[in-house]
Amino acid sequence: RMSNTSLKHRNFVGEPMGDKPVTALSGVGEALGRKLADQGFDKAYVVLGQFLLLKKDPEMFNEWLKDAIGANSQQALSCTRCLREWCDAFL
Amino acid sequence: MSALSSKSAQEISDLLDDYGIKHGPVVDSTRSLYEKKLREAMAKGKKAKQSPDKTYYREEEDEVTYVYRTPVRSDGAGDSGTYTRLRPEWTEREYDHGTSYSRYSRSRPEYSGRDYVDEPHMYDTPSTYRNSYLKSTPMKSEAPAAPKSSRLIPLWVQFVFFLAVAAFLYIVFSSMESNEPIKGIE
Repeated sequence: RMSNTSLKHRNFVGEPMGDKPVTALSGVGEALGRKLADQGFDKAYVVLGQFLLLKKDPEMFNEWLKDAIGANSQQALSCTRCLREWCDAFL
Repeated sequence: MSALSSKSAQEISDLLDDYGIKHGPVVDSTRSLYEKKLREAMAKGKKAKQSPDKTYYREEEDEVTYVYRTPVRSDGAGDSGTYTRLRPEWTEREYDHGTSYSRYSRSRPEYSGRDYVDEPHMYDTPSTYRNSYLKSTPMKSEAPAAPKSSRLIPLWVQFVFFLAVAAFLYIVFSSMESNEPIKGIE
């Protein structure tokens, strides 16, 4: 639901992520969260790590989410946007 | 360029530079993405270098050895900034290796469309490249070892020039002292 997504987004980008689970990321629900966790990305900050490794390139990160994790376009877009804004605020 | 997966991380990184693909570290979690990007770029025939199969000319070969890549110093490629191209006079004067010269001249058309083709700029300085130049002519070794340097005039030229000017001034000065005092100043 868009409102939930926006809420998730706002909640995430409004504060340090600490040890939040990966499902706290906007765009990441249960299923995607599981896929991420299966590859070792069980915490939001690990996904952040990947974003940073890709030099915060949104297109690269977006592509990675889809190719390596199996996110769909909407999920990837939300998650990318979420991390971008978090980085802009806190990194 | 087959078997990207068998290349070293450094090679992948260099290839990404060659194709002007901005990238981060080539590690396990980023590798497959970068390989995919490279395959896409190669398939598009972006022709980052003149002959995609020959990325490096290794030092072990007898012939001229130089790393030959397209200049990547475009707007985005900030960090690596490696830029490799031979000065025209270098190939003509310094190299009697037919291969190198022909490779270079063959590649000219490749660069004709690009903005930086007219600037004989800095040269990439992997150790192989630097060593090969040192072998052929000490004079023409590129300036500071840092790949990022972008001097139009090599540093050693500047030093020599400075010393020459200093020597000249010294000569002028000392010869002035031995002259007659300037009229009017007694």
